[in-house]
Amino acid sequence: MSGAHQQTILAVDDSASMRQMVRFTLEGAGYKVVQASDGMEALEVARGASVDLVLTDVNMPRMDGISLVRELRSLDTYKFVPMLVLTTESGQETKMRGKQAGATGWIVKPFNPEQLLATISRVL
Amino acid sequence: MPVLKLSEDWTPEGQLGLMLGLCEAQMDSALQESDQSIDALVAAFTSLVDTARAVSSLSEKLSSDVKAQLDPSFHEQIAAFQSQMASAVVAFQFYDKLSQRLGHVRYSLSTLAQFACSRTQMQQPEQWTRLHSTLRRLYRTQEEREVFQIVMEGDGSGFMHASPAPASTGNAKAGEVELF
Repeated sequence: MSGAHQQTILAVDDSASMRQMVRFTLEGAGYKVVQASDGMEALEVARGASVDLVLTDVNMPRMDGISLVRELRSLDTYKFVPMLVLTTESGQETKMRGKQAGATGWIVKPFNPEQLLATISRVL
Repeated sequence: MPVLKLSEDWTPEGQLGLMLGLCEAQMDSALQESDQSIDALVAAFTSLVDTARAVSSLSEKLSSDVKAQLDPSFHEQIAAFQSQMASAVVAFQFYDKLSQRLGHVRYSLSTLAQFACSRTQMQQPEQWTRLHSTLRRLYRTQEEREVFQIVMEGDGSGFMHASPAPASTGNAKAGEVELF
């Protein structure tokens, strides 16, 4: 990663082990990672921090990832922030709902670290 | 052979519900136990990765004289560790997927246990169709949908007698990236 500004990624997943996998993959590439365990918590974190990219799971308690994307897109500060969905869901119907909500892209778990980093670089 | 005494409220449906509840409880207990183990394993792995990164970072700060004295295989070993770490990251995610799928099986057993308690309901084909639809909507992965299709829409012989795994085993969709 170039430049002095360390980019911040908000990683949202209800599985602690998944958040860990995402965290050290991204931190290893020089990103700062903030985490949330569901959509509601992610909204709070996103409102209180400057986030350059959101990486979210779909199926989570309290607020799912697609609703999170929709909520964030309604905020001025998140209108143009890339939002990637990282999920086991591979069905077209759910993917289309994600696209309509304003997601930037869709990655099917399990992710390959190199591929995830390459995708993030493309959208940032 | 001991004489079997049946309570007044004994019914085959009640027994079926009880046995399904037992299966659900066993699965729940096993999942909780394995969750604890995997959390410990992830914590140990994270610590290992952090240590390796710290060593790598320290080695970058060494003066060129000291670097020259390092064993030539040092950087190769660091690179090998990083590659193994990437494989481990993928492997750990399969546990997450496994627990998600087992969670769906658990919910299916619990739903079936409740369903089985009603003899009237069990005798109505449309109620069974509704149950199938409810359970099908649970599925999130391609593999779950394929297993459902093989068992429920196959030739009736069931999954146990069919091929050992659906066609997409090996996660044909895993890692798939689509940018909108």
